[in-house]
Amino acid sequence: MKLLTNAVRLRPLLLLRRQRSHDTKTARALDPPRQPVPTSAQLDELERNVKLRHHKNNIPLIRSLANEAANGSPDILKRLQLELEQLPNETHPRVLDYGEEPRELAQYKHRELPADTTIKEFSEIARALNLYRMDHLGNYTGHKSYYLMGQLATLEQAIIQYALQAVTSHGFKLISVPDILPREVIESCGMRTEGERTQVYKLDTGECLSGTSEMALAGFFANKLLTEEQLPLKVTAVSRCYRAETSGLQEEKGIYRVHQFNKVEMFAICTAEQSEAELEEFKDTEVDLFRRLGLNFRLLDMPPCELGAPAYQKYDIEAWMPGRKMWGEISSCSNCTDYQAKRLGIRYRRSSDGQVVDAHTINGTATAIPRLLIALLESYQRGDAVEIPTVLRPFMDGQELITRNKRIPETKLVKFIKA
Amino acid sequence: MLSLRILGISFTKSCTRNISALYITGDKANENYVTLQPYLDFEGTFGGRELLEQSIASRGLNINLETVLNKYQKYQAHHEQLRKVAEDREAVTKKLKELSKAGGNDDQLEQLKERGKSLRNDLKNLKQALYPIEDDFIHDYLHLPNRLHELCPTEGEEKLLYRHQVPSSTPDTLSHLANKELIHFVDNNRYYMMEQAAHFDVNAMQSLARYFVTKGDFIQTANPDFVRCVLLEANATPMDDYHMVREEHLQNKINTAYLTGGAAFESYLGAMTKLCVYPSVLPLRYVCCGRSYNRAEAELNGPSPSLYTATQSNAVQSFVATQTASDADSQLEQILNLAVDFYKAIDVPFRVVYVAAKNLTPSENLRAVLEVYAPSLKRYVCVGRVSNYGDFVSKRILFSTRREKHYDFLHLVGGPVLYTSRLIAALLEHNIKLEDCKLLGSASQEPTMQQSVQQFKDLFK
Repeated sequence: MKLLTNAVRLRPLLLLRRQRSHDTKTARALDPPRQPVPTSAQLDELERNVKLRHHKNNIPLIRSLANEAANGSPDILKRLQLELEQLPNETHPRVLDYGEEPRELAQYKHRELPADTTIKEFSEIARALNLYRMDHLGNYTGHKSYYLMGQLATLEQAIIQYALQAVTSHGFKLISVPDILPREVIESCGMRTEGERTQVYKLDTGECLSGTSEMALAGFFANKLLTEEQLPLKVTAVSRCYRAETSGLQEEKGIYRVHQFNKVEMFAICTAEQSEAELEEFKDTEVDLFRRLGLNFRLLDMPPCELGAPAYQKYDIEAWMPGRKMWGEISSCSNCTDYQAKRLGIRYRRSSDGQVVDAHTINGTATAIPRLLIALLESYQRGDAVEIPTVLRPFMDGQELITRNKRIPETKLVKFIKA
Repeated sequence: MLSLRILGISFTKSCTRNISALYITGDKANENYVTLQPYLDFEGTFGGRELLEQSIASRGLNINLETVLNKYQKYQAHHEQLRKVAEDREAVTKKLKELSKAGGNDDQLEQLKERGKSLRNDLKNLKQALYPIEDDFIHDYLHLPNRLHELCPTEGEEKLLYRHQVPSSTPDTLSHLANKELIHFVDNNRYYMMEQAAHFDVNAMQSLARYFVTKGDFIQTANPDFVRCVLLEANATPMDDYHMVREEHLQNKINTAYLTGGAAFESYLGAMTKLCVYPSVLPLRYVCCGRSYNRAEAELNGPSPSLYTATQSNAVQSFVATQTASDADSQLEQILNLAVDFYKAIDVPFRVVYVAAKNLTPSENLRAVLEVYAPSLKRYVCVGRVSNYGDFVSKRILFSTRREKHYDFLHLVGGPVLYTSRLIAALLEHNIKLEDCKLLGSASQEPTMQQSVQQFKDLFK
């Protein structure tokens, strides 16, 4: 439960942030230019939150702008407003004393793994089965690009079907979403599209590639006025995710961190009263998905410094990847409270008094393919083959094993052929 | 920055390439990494001059073959000269070695050394002189089209191959965009589909791919979404078909990435580049589910923006490699048969046509298009297409098989067999309920192996 004390303490500050007029098409530009200047005590509170979350500390700048704002200059007020917008969401009081480490809430062990000596890593298994290629592709299909072949490609589609069946049975409505989005929609979700280390790909037209369908879904609901009866409104999407980020870390080699992948995402819009319970439902859905897949995994409650800007609280699920001998994040879910909704203008009319109020948003991963493939293949390896989890077999014509495919050519490359 | 020549080519669909990543001459190789050296089959290309001329004329290309041949002669003459000087130089080097060993006199040695130096300079100068000649000729050469397939209509319009149902001549039909419950269309890059349209979007794609796997013995794959310029050039894909991706740290500035989607023919080429396979894997039959982002192709269904003109679509892509041309013909037929089965089961008015030569890209020798009737547009729109590329593209990407000591370049056939967005639009306009459509290949259409075994066991209870 969100502590009342916390909400009461931060309410004046939230009011400040609410009065922004975003420079995007999708965000609201309705608030009148009447910014109350934050008091020193309020700024102290905000700074504590910023530091706790290891967020860029712009409070000293806000302080000096707040002092200057006393003369009422519109330019200063605008700058102050922009800086206030950069601040992160509040933090759930439960995690305030977590320090920098996540708290493990549960471990789920569903599978006895083979002896350490015989265990192989994903790329080793997939290459031996001739079902995967990632080498010598940079000049043709780009850095860290990959092909899945045969049963591995079928397994990907089976996972998507399995996840869709599960989440739609939990009341999520499927939506087909666009992958090419205007810059403004992506920025409204709290992602930077400019700068050296941006994770967002841009096209020649200036538009961007979506990093997760949460962005397209948020854009879909932007500026929508819903009724309270419509909430919680739960949707799901299968989308291609594009991320410009890269990694040279040994533990993130292969398809662990790639630029393109498929994902089934869950997204919900709800009332402030519903959001905490809704997040628990997201978490339970995810736990159930991976439990039925028979993976060994753990549930983590993330500390303030791992929340990013929009999340109020966040759970991560890490699967044990025996080939890599490490826990790898395969899923997460976050409660963004009204942080995204305010920026996007997602509101609803309250039944009790007819007032229009900001909604809360929740997002979570049902399945992100590459890491799930790693966890599945490494956990289900059986000699020269890989067992297919029982729940996925109906989507794979009842097949039980993934075996070497001799019809797929091995990667034998020539340098050039003389005419 | 490198001063690369501007190449203007006039395809039927206007297409201008400013630079070439596919062929980089030696003088520019220091600044630009050569990623691929295409196999240049001059004899094969110019051998059947009449056929090539006919292909150029039927496609309506603005290429003067006589000019290209003149450039070829000049290129050959220079190459011959270069070869002779290199030979002379080698002979001098050899003689010099022999004389030094035999203790020849100093004058003779000095004379040979001078001759060697002069030949070395000649060679260097000739190479420098050859670069612009090579550049000029090879780029023109790479723009020459494939020969046409005998089935390709060379005159007039398309040729009808198959038709299912004749579209009824109904009065004006409302566009699918009127169905706000199912479709929310923003612009050509952005649309949303809800409820049964969203389910059909995923199910139709997965079902058809599965039908190709189970009925056609295809191997399923999942492909990357970006394809670099070098492969688009190899496939003679017009560059404005796809969006270019701006990359922050691009190492090779002329080999930029394009957003094709995994279910694009070009996406398969990445895995086939420089690949040499055993004949035992042929014919190699692949199919994949994925996105397609071909913006130029979609625009043909305009001018009004709709799902027919949207850039993004879920798609099923086929790709087959064969050893011979006749195998390629039968594989194209097989792909079409599988696709026809699928559309027949949905029971929507559709047809299959061979498009006229003027509408082909330079690498295609034949293209069959699957078209459904779009009532709001009162015409057929493409929901899939299968092309025959012969060995034209394989030679450029070095995709081959070994036969004794030779390399045989593989014949390629393939293309998207389903664009879900356009099919959904047409189905809505035909008032066909998406949830009632029979999707061949769908898991629910036939019992799984386990269910079949159970049914078999039940017989003996």
